[in-house]
Order: sequence, then C-alpha cells, then structure tokens
Amino acid sequence: MAYRIAELELSEPPTPIALAPEQNGLAVLARWKGRLAGFHMASAAPGYAFSTDEVQALCAKRFGRRLVALEVEAALARRWPVEEVSAPSLSIAICTKDRAQRLARLLNSLMSVIGGSRFRATEVLVIDNASIDSATRDAVAGFVGVRYVFEPRAGLDFARNAALRHATGDLLAFLDDDVVVDRDWLEGLFGAWQGCPEAGGFTGLVLPYRLDTEAQVQFELRGGFGRGFEPKVFHSASADNPLHPVGSGVIGAGCNMAFDRTLLLSLGGFDEALDTGAPLPGGGDLDIFYRVLRSGRAMVYEPRYAVYHEHRETLPQLQRQYWTWGLGFMAFLAKSRRSDPALKGKHSAILRWWLLDKLADLGVAACRLRGLELRFLLAELWGGIVGMAGEYDRSLKRVQTIRKQAS
Amino acid sequence: MSAAWDIKHVDLSDGHPAVAANPRPLFVVFWWGALPLGVRTYLPEQLPLSLSELAALTAELASPQLAARSPRFCGPARATYDGKPLLPVAADSVQTCGDLLRQLDDFAETTPVSGGPLSVIICTRDRPEALERCLSALMAQTSRAGQIVVVDNSSHRSAEAVSARFSGVDYLHEPRPGLSVARNAGVRVSTGALIAFTDDDVEPSPSWTMELVRALSSAAVDAVTGLVLPARLDTPAQCYFQFKMGGFGSECVPLIFDRRFLDETKATGAQVWRIGAGANMAFRRLVFERVGLFDERLGAGASGCSEDSELWYRLIANGGTCLFEPRAFVMHHHREQWSELRRQVRAYMKGHVSALFVQAARHRHGGNIHRIFRQLPGYFARSAFLALRDGGGARRFQILWDEIVGWLCGLQYAFRPRWRARPVEMPASPSLGQSARQSSL
Repeated sequence: MAYRIAELELSEPPTPIALAPEQNGLAVLARWKGRLAGFHMASAAPGYAFSTDEVQALCAKRFGRRLVALEVEAALARRWPVEEVSAPSLSIAICTKDRAQRLARLLNSLMSVIGGSRFRATEVLVIDNASIDSATRDAVAGFVGVRYVFEPRAGLDFARNAALRHATGDLLAFLDDDVVVDRDWLEGLFGAWQGCPEAGGFTGLVLPYRLDTEAQVQFELRGGFGRGFEPKVFHSASADNPLHPVGSGVIGAGCNMAFDRTLLLSLGGFDEALDTGAPLPGGGDLDIFYRVLRSGRAMVYEPRYAVYHEHRETLPQLQRQYWTWGLGFMAFLAKSRRSDPALKGKHSAILRWWLLDKLADLGVAACRLRGLELRFLLAELWGGIVGMAGEYDRSLKRVQTIRKQAS
Repeated sequence: MSAAWDIKHVDLSDGHPAVAANPRPLFVVFWWGALPLGVRTYLPEQLPLSLSELAALTAELASPQLAARSPRFCGPARATYDGKPLLPVAADSVQTCGDLLRQLDDFAETTPVSGGPLSVIICTRDRPEALERCLSALMAQTSRAGQIVVVDNSSHRSAEAVSARFSGVDYLHEPRPGLSVARNAGVRVSTGALIAFTDDDVEPSPSWTMELVRALSSAAVDAVTGLVLPARLDTPAQCYFQFKMGGFGSECVPLIFDRRFLDETKATGAQVWRIGAGANMAFRRLVFERVGLFDERLGAGASGCSEDSELWYRLIANGGTCLFEPRAFVMHHHREQWSELRRQVRAYMKGHVSALFVQAARHRHGGNIHRIFRQLPGYFARSAFLALRDGGGARRFQILWDEIVGWLCGLQYAFRPRWRARPVEMPASPSLGQSARQSSL
C-alpha cells in the first residue's frame, strides 16, 4: 500500500497523473498561487492513470471553494490593511536525538526559507538531547550560523526547556527532527503573528512527508496530524465545544509549534515529566497548549505555517504511536486534574467522552471486521488505561532520578 | 448553555466591521449588506474578534455564498440528500473571476421591488401580544404586502381586537381547529398572485415582503422559503432548541429543491423538511391550483406538524421547484418554557411520522417508510449514545424521550388505512379565479 503525493499548482493547467504499479492511491497537495490550499487522498487501482479531466474534477470538488475563499481573503487584505507593528525576533529550536540524517534534511529545508525572514532577527538552535555519538554535533557543524546545545538529560521536554533557556528570540518555534518545513513555513508563522500579535502560541499544519508504506497511508487516512486548511483562533473557552480547552489536541501538534518566549518562562516552561521519550512519549504538547490557554492567552492555528512529517514506517511502530497517544493524553489529564481543580468537571467529562468514543469506535470496527482499525483502537485504549493507572506519578519519579543523576 | 445569549447582527461589507467584547455569550449573524452569510456563536472569552479572525471568517462564509450564487462557479446550487449543496468550483473559473467583493456587493443588491402582488397570511390562536408584534413588523415593511390576512383559529375571536387596530388588515375567523385548516381558509380569501405565510410568533425583517417577491420573480421558482433565526435566546428552552436541536436551521447558502432532488433521494426518504419552515414561506397561487391545498390531517392542531413540508413534497413530486432564499429573513420567538418545548418536540415527531405515512401512501415512495422504521430508531439510538458520551444532563434524555413518545404516537397512523387514503382538498375555483389579482409577474 502506497500513495503518490502530487503537488499541484491549481493556477496552472492540470496535467494527467499516473501512479506507479506499487501505488494504489493519489494524495493531492494543492497550492493556489503558491499558497497551500488543500490536501486530499483518493484511492485507486494500482498503477491507475488519472486523466486531466479526472484531476480537474477532483480539484474542483475538493479545493474549489477554498480557492474562492483565498481570493476573498486576498481582496479583504487590500480592503482592511493590517497595522504595521515592529516585528519580533525569532528563535527556532530543533530538539533531536540520534537522528543526524533527518536533522540535516530539516536544516537544509530551513536554510532555504530563512533568507526571506521578515522577523527582526532569526536564530536556529539544535538541542542535542543526549545523543550517544557525535553524529548530531557533526551534522550541525555543516551549517553556518546554527547554534548547537547539548542537553545531557534524555527527554523531549528537558530538551525543550534547554531551548527555552538558551533562546533569545521574542518568539520561540519548536520543530521535531522528523519534519521538513514547507517553503511558506516562516512566512506563515510571521503572518499568524501579524494577525494576532497578542497570542500566546501558534501551531501549524502537519502534512505527510511521504506515503510509501501501509502504516504511513493508514495513519494519514485516519486523520494523521491534519487540522485543516482554515486558520483558527483558540481561547480558554469555546461556544462550540463545551469540553474545550481540555481536549487541546485539536489545537495542533508538538512537532510544529511556537510560543511567546516570555510567556513560556512565566509558565515555568514545559513539564519535564511529560514527553519523556521512551517511557512516556507524549502529552507535553497537550499540556503546554492547555496551560497557555488557561493563562488567558490565545493559540492560533495557521495552515500556511506548514511542515511535512515523516510518519511511522511500520505497522508495529504506528500501533505503538497510538498507544502513546492514549498514554500521553491520560497522563496529561491526570496532571491537569490535580493542578487545575477549577476545571474538574470538564476533566471528568472528557474522560467519559474519550472512553465512550473509543468503545463505540471499537464496536463499529469489530462489527465491520476491520482488523487493523481494531488493533489501533485497542492500542490507544490500552495506552489510555495505563495512563490512567498512575503513569504520570511514575514518570515524575523517573524524571526525579534523571535529574539526580545529571547533577 | 443555560446562560442567556445576546443576539447581534454584523455587516461585514462595512469598512470597519467589529465584534466587540460582550459580558454575555453572543449569537452573531454575519451579513454582507442585505445578504446573510452565516451564524457563529462566541463565549465572552472568545471576544473581541481580531481583524484577521474576521477576514478568515468572511472568506470562509463568502466562498460557499459566491459558489452557490454565481453562475460562473456553480450557481444556482441544488440540494443533495441532507439538504446541503455540492459546490464544485473549477480552478480556471477562479483564475478569471475578477473582483469577488464586488460580486458579493452585486448579490447583496437591494433594488426595490413592490410587495403589491403578495398576500400575507398569518394564522394565530390565542396569542394576541405575539400577533401584535408580528403585525407591527408587517406594517413596517419597506414595501408593504398588497394584502394581509389574519386567520383567527381561536374559538372566541381573540385576535379580532388586535387586527382591528391595524389598518388594512383583513380579519377572518376560522373556528375549525388546525393550522392547515386555517391556512387553507386564508388561501381561499387571498387575492394576490403570490401567497406568503408566517406565524404569530414571528417578526419578519423589514425587507421580507420584497425579498419573497424578488425570489418569486424568477419563472423557474414555484415556492420560496427563507431564513428563520431566533428573536431571543433568553431561556434554557430557547437555547436548547436553537443550539442542540438546530432551531430552524442557520445555513445561509441559497438552494434549489426540485424533482431531481426528490428522485435522487426518495429511496431513503427525501429530506423535504430541510427546505425551510412554515414560519417563512411563500407560494405562487398556481401551486395550490396544481397540487391542492395544505393537507388538513397534518399540522399543529391535527397530527402535529409537517403540513408545510408535505406540500413541498407534493409540489416537487409534481415537477415544481422550491427555492430556499435566506435573504428573506424572519425572527422567530422560540418557546420560552421547557414544558412548552417538550410538548412541541412531541408534536413535531408525531407530525413528522404522520406526514411520512401520508407521503408514502400518496406517492408510493417507500423511502418514507424506511425513514420511520429504520432511520428514526437509528437516530434515537445515536442520540442516546451522544447524550451519554457528551453529557448534558437530564434535559437531553427528556427531549429524546419526548421524541420517542411522539414517534410512537405517530405510529398509530400505520393502523388507519382510511385516514391515509384521504385525498387532499383542492381550492374552490370561483373564489380563486375571479379575485386573483393579475400582476405583472
């Protein structure tokens, strides 16, 4: 199972698209005058050749209205010009561990967009999170102007807090090492900041880097990290979602997020007992989104601020990812219930929501004999149960040990 | 949900639109001039809206509007199964589209149209204060309707005094109970080539008459419905009806419902109730001559409701066309008391089931039966699951219970073959043919 990812510039005439014999689907990434406009996956027979008409019809159906919206937005930008505010400076932090090749790939993509930065100053930091050899340091040495910081305590949120201490920018953007930035990434972040300079944080679109294996295709078909192509602003409450902001996963993903650095410092940084790597690899992003919103500052989701994420390659890896989602979410919830009793009602409500929702999905998958779906759901549910059963406290102890060892 | 909401109207075509901070939750209706674009809700924490939020929202709301209205994209838009349009827009048509804001201005045009050809029929029963509000709004129209008829469906003429206070209002007493009976009585005394209906708990917007006439000026349109939004959201019952039950809909994309819509969807029950609401609808007089009057077995005071959607069903089955045109806009006073809402929900569901039986018998469309025995039980099961999953307390279960009771009450019509077989009444031709005012339409 593999999908061909085709990037189409819709302002140019369409062309036919042929799949390779091993490909059984087409994922169209649409742009309109350079701007990302939509992403759609269509399954097809292996090796199928989409004719010009088919491509055109698919684009009209899936992206047409978005193109009209983009044109309206452009016209409104002329009618309602934004006030010029002096631009902030930006630090971009990449937290990485033992993935020198992917890091180099990301830095390459980053270097090509930084030249056009409209931020007052832009710096790039690589936080080497206790890599076992010097490959990461060597990879960074190949790029001019990239700062290298070594964080000996293993754990993503240790690394993120190290970035927070070393960064100097007004805004601090985080990237995971398994992504590549879109050519509009930096401009997208700048636009999001310009639209809402008082926001506490920003998240962006996460698209698939490749869809070459069944696991990658399945992950994307089940929603992936996609949060859509319409910008959104999140506050500490929402009229449409009574459980907001407890279900903070809708806001974005930790592999592509940015914050007002001063705000992060005042919030005490990331929770080092979440996103700790192997034992509890999740929840850190949910926690920080939640805390930013609870501090009264907004979070902005901006689709132009886009990255491409290398999804898990194999089904066991993907199954484990779903397990970590359940685990991380419940660890986050256990922590928030304790630290934010004012929203206790919402925490209980989302717990019930989550369990019933997963059980219902499980029932549907079982009735329809969808083995793979069943596997993923069971993994997530099991992760959730482990998470509920004191995982956050166990993680606190582990983190305590790591801190002692390091000092 | 139980807090009271404020309702605000915001014109986005204004040079400096704003949705300011508000101490109470806000229900905002966004407009582009005379063109309603959509509805959004905000808690105080989400306000004020920034200019970039407003711009993104305007783009999001304007794009289906442009796609559905502009012939260069895919207008006029036709409804599909669940009353939503498919709006494919070819990329090359966007490439050459020109100034889209100017096109929005064109769609929001307000060339005056005379309300003269329109007869407005208001059926009322023991709600004189509400009727007074409604009549005041009808008097304040930009262009007044040629005829306004109050049909008093009460036993003791409770609307007579109110009607007499307004000049040029025809009063008619129809003591036989039933909304369909009253509406039919209104049709019989009406004189206009176009006939509009509204209810006593409704306040039409000042351009309502004009917009209905404008929409019916297209030869291809036989019936028009419009936008019905809440006049107030003060009580838990009003908020529940609007937010949890969807109110009378808040979509603002114009839609055509025609024979093709029926043919494409009748196998699983054509969702004709998506066409609109009886509180805001108009017909050509010819429609009644062609397909008959409202079915007097249906509607408030008889089986409960759905006399309006059954007439639309008959109309489109006969090749007619209904247009949902949100520019024709009224405000509805939802039931204030929880007990009233519960009664209404039972009546709605019972009436809905009875209308499905009638439609199945009249047109031999099995999809209506499929809806009664497959879709509705499925809907109840889903509602029960959602009520469990999302919480929301006893209220949701009470409403679900009322829906199930209404459904069970509606099933009685399965055992009444003679009731089902009754033909619909046709208008008496003399009163129609002679007095129908010839209009330029």
